[in-house]
Amino acid sequence: MKFSINSTSLEKLLSKVIPAIPPRTPMPVIENFLFQIQENLLTVTGTDLDMFITCTMSIDADGEFESIIPARLFYDLVRSIPDSIINFEVTGNGSLNMRTDFGSYQIGYADSSQFPQVPAITYTKQVTIIGSVLKNAIDLTSFAVSKEPMRPAMTGILFDFTDEGLKFVATDGHRLVRFIYKPLTFEEADQIVVPIKAVDVLLKFAGDSPVSISYTNSNILFRFGEITMISSLINQKYPAYNSVIPLENDNLLTLDKKPLIGAVKRMLLFDSSNFPKVKIGLSENMVEISSEDIDKGSRGTETLQCDYTGVPMEIAFNTHFLYDILSHMEQEKLVFRFESPSRASLIEGAEAAEDREILMLLMPVRLNV
Amino acid sequence: MAVIFHMDLDAFFISVERILNPQLQGKPVIVGGDPHGRGVVAACSYEARAFGIHSAMPIRQAYKLCPQGIYLHGHMEEYSRFSRLVAEIVRKYAPVVEQASIDEFYMDLTGCVKNGRDCMDLASRLQKEIGKHLLLPCSIGIASNKTLAKIASDFKKPRGITYILPGKEREFLAPLPVGIIPGIGKVSEEQLKKRGIDRIRDIQNIPADYYTSTFGKTGLDFWKKANGEGSTFISVHGEQKSISRETTFDDFILEPEVLKNVLLKLTGKVCQTLREQGVKASTVHLKLRYSDFQTLTRAKTIVPTDDDSDVYNTVCSLLDKAFTRRVSIRLIGVSLTNFTQSADQLLLFDSRYQKKKDMLKAINNIRGKYGYSKISYGAG
Repeated sequence: MKFSINSTSLEKLLSKVIPAIPPRTPMPVIENFLFQIQENLLTVTGTDLDMFITCTMSIDADGEFESIIPARLFYDLVRSIPDSIINFEVTGNGSLNMRTDFGSYQIGYADSSQFPQVPAITYTKQVTIIGSVLKNAIDLTSFAVSKEPMRPAMTGILFDFTDEGLKFVATDGHRLVRFIYKPLTFEEADQIVVPIKAVDVLLKFAGDSPVSISYTNSNILFRFGEITMISSLINQKYPAYNSVIPLENDNLLTLDKKPLIGAVKRMLLFDSSNFPKVKIGLSENMVEISSEDIDKGSRGTETLQCDYTGVPMEIAFNTHFLYDILSHMEQEKLVFRFESPSRASLIEGAEAAEDREILMLLMPVRLNV
Repeated sequence: MAVIFHMDLDAFFISVERILNPQLQGKPVIVGGDPHGRGVVAACSYEARAFGIHSAMPIRQAYKLCPQGIYLHGHMEEYSRFSRLVAEIVRKYAPVVEQASIDEFYMDLTGCVKNGRDCMDLASRLQKEIGKHLLLPCSIGIASNKTLAKIASDFKKPRGITYILPGKEREFLAPLPVGIIPGIGKVSEEQLKKRGIDRIRDIQNIPADYYTSTFGKTGLDFWKKANGEGSTFISVHGEQKSISRETTFDDFILEPEVLKNVLLKLTGKVCQTLREQGVKASTVHLKLRYSDFQTLTRAKTIVPTDDDSDVYNTVCSLLDKAFTRRVSIRLIGVSLTNFTQSADQLLLFDSRYQKKKDMLKAINNIRGKYGYSKISYGAG
């Protein structure tokens, strides 16, 4: 059986499946790609058992073939071959022969019966969302996802289906991001938590075209372009995030993002501890940003022009957290809503977009303890 | 030329015991616990040393050498209290002080003293004040670096003051046995002796290359120390690098449940210290010694914490992984490293967390007021 594929297009296909291949596993069979050719359609599948990624492309083949081949070797080889045609031949002695302009290679393949079955699930709920919106939502929320395995629910992004829109929420207990996409509303409320690994794949490979999302209580299926991805969901209750978003924060600070982000970045230089702190002093139409390293006797202070209406106060944040939030805000003019130095502060864009709403929330660091 | 003082409290634990109980004066006293148990000698009086007892010797062996000795469990809290009082006095004398251990202090007096006579005067005043106010004897070594100062303080004990004249360091060291150099332990001493190197003079007479090729980096270190080189860096911050507690069992233990119970107690103590110092630790270490003396340590880095249960869970998971042999355990220990100041990052959810924090604070207060054992966790 023979078939030929262009190396660049094959590499492109494999690069979408390789994220599912676990770097280390006690189960050797999943270090392989499931490689199937049927009616001139090549299907490659990879899995770490939590997530299955399948990708297809049309090829010219004179027969059918199904087998497993070592994923890392095959991908690395294809990736290193410059744009050219690779001629494949299955000889039947357990090796896949590849011929290129440079030489020939044999890759051993094995019986595919041991490869885990893609779970056959009947998906009861379905929604379609524009790829660029989904990517935008993930891009703006995923940085706040918790990296601590202690609270599994927070290691994923919450997809909250509500009558106000589709909400994407991420939090690590110190900060929280909520992205609402208003055009999609749901009469029946539903919540699912999608693991960060699946979300990362979406962010990398989803295009502008629509992404179809089907889900049950335990699994989710994404279909975009030629990719199908199934992931198990995080089966844990997401914390009640609505109750921690303050409503009465009425000390308002409006200012330009660019000078602020520059100032915060410089303040990062002045506190080299593991938990760097930046202090924000608020008074009428003036904001003072400062940071210091008491042990080393260094200190930085900057004053920025702004609009501030509210009581004068001093509030401090973890510098990294604040910087992360600022660098993910898309608008040039930002509004901070403070309540007190020990309560959550809200950060939003000054102008509301029509179809989406982004809210970031950051817990302060206690001062003088 | 730097002027470094090293002050060592003579038989510190014993001296404190004698303050607590003056009847111990002039008798062979050994601190270390049950003489029939499996502990080691933590400290012994000069009278006990005459019987051949030295610290770190198994206590049973000590008992064989000196059955008439007085064996005590020791009063760790009292030792710490006296150590703090000594530190207060020392700080009056020197601008830069490093407390190297519970009974050892380095002082940098560079520029504070004009000549050797000044040094001797100052040392003798310090020695007298500590002797008078705290009734504690001490020995002081004065030299141009820390290593030499330590050797000097050890040179004449108890109640000695030894000053190594600047420029005469090599001559001073030459006739001394190699074992006196800090860093040369029994094993290295044995190895050096096998090569005919007995006195520091012998080290000085052979070029450094020889030691580098035979002992590697440590060899070069020996050579440098033997030639009077050493650090003058006094770490003032007294930054603690680790907090640890360990225990040696009287009966060897094989059951993981019992070990975990002990770990719970040890964890409680290290976390208590951690909170008292207002820091959080991010690396948890477990130390295990099997009854055949195979010793292993395992460590795991976690999110910075000062909470007993986080540390306990981590150390238990380390135990589950590390305790693989069916050989009983002789010693077990917990230590914490990698400290960060407790940053008070407020949390969004979890009033539970805040409650726990308040609870831990209350526990610390109770223990501070009424003693450690007045309140403790149940395992589970």
